[in-house]
Amino acid sequence: MSTIKDITTLEDWAQHLASLPPTTLLIISFHAPWAAPCAQMATVLSTLASEYPVTEPPSTSWVAIDAEELSDVSENYNVTAVPFLVLVRDGKVLETVSGSSAVKVRDAIETHAKGTSASAGPTVNGTNGIAASVEAKEVNTAPEDPVKKKEELFKRLGDLVKAAPVMLFMKGTPSEPKCGFSRQLVAILRENAVKYGFFNILADDEVRQGLKEYADWPTYPQLWVDGELMGGLDIVKEELASDPDFLKSYSVKADVAATS
Amino acid sequence: MATSQSPVEDIIREKCNKGEPRLNNSRRPVHQITAALQPSTLEIFNDSHLHAHHKAMEGSTSRETHFRLIITSDAFKSKMQPARHRLVYGLLKDEMAKEGGIHALQLRTMTPEEEEKRKQAENSA
Repeated sequence: MSTIKDITTLEDWAQHLASLPPTTLLIISFHAPWAAPCAQMATVLSTLASEYPVTEPPSTSWVAIDAEELSDVSENYNVTAVPFLVLVRDGKVLETVSGSSAVKVRDAIETHAKGTSASAGPTVNGTNGIAASVEAKEVNTAPEDPVKKKEELFKRLGDLVKAAPVMLFMKGTPSEPKCGFSRQLVAILRENAVKYGFFNILADDEVRQGLKEYADWPTYPQLWVDGELMGGLDIVKEELASDPDFLKSYSVKADVAATS
Repeated sequence: MATSQSPVEDIIREKCNKGEPRLNNSRRPVHQITAALQPSTLEIFNDSHLHAHHKAMEGSTSRETHFRLIITSDAFKSKMQPARHRLVYGLLKDEMAKEGGIHALQLRTMTPEEEEKRKQAENSA
């Protein structure tokens, strides 16, 4: 019955990394306290973790990291949005899962966890062979139901746009925007000290195309406020020009005022 | 700031002025939209040359990728900005969807009243 360990300092992180044997599958969950889907993901992960027995040497190691608190670690793993899962073994990143799809997360972990439990020799081939045929079957059934797939995508998008009170879907990341309009919008949000979540649509083509349809809006960046599409750069600029206090309630200062 | 005449610009002008009767896609009730904006102001700026060297434009030879539109129309009355922009996006849907078509549209959408207010603000500044 494995449990998830909260890593809160860089020292803890370094120590934990150093303690891991090369065969252990390290499961890193990046989260942010203000992002609702992260709470759901935490539940999904702790349930999953409980299915893996603690072994010696450990077959799996589960850690949770606040992406903003330990931003160095987030940057190291190119964390583009939260929740974000990184699977590592022997210092190498095997796979990452961005977003709140419990199915994707479970699949990824189960696929790579097999690597630890299989021992060298014929057993390995056997396990992989079975895994391959199971995966092949699953791949065949998925395309047969495109309607369901779209429904799931739209449900996922519905959750994603509400991941934070202010959500920016942009090209690139706030620290590395990949488009002039996205860069300008990030600058505007920063100037107004707005607290926001972001999603790099260049890193996820499914979201990139799906959100255009979901939002009935063909371009990026897209700013969503309280789950509703506000618009793009032009609109945000115009709204601010006509009302400088337009995003005031979402600013970092508002947060501070609320807690003091 | 030059308003260069070009095929895509002509299409934009025509669609904004005359609109386009077309059937809606399956997600909404099927009916004809004669979305003639009949704008009192329609300015089209081709900013493609400003973005030609950007990574996203690599491999593209088109000089009709980025446009800036300033539109004043009664059709925008009682519509919030996202709805107004959607109107314009809708008119130019085909141009935006096709390969090598319009990549980016900057829009300023105003009602005649808003345009007047803006002019006054600019004059007094």
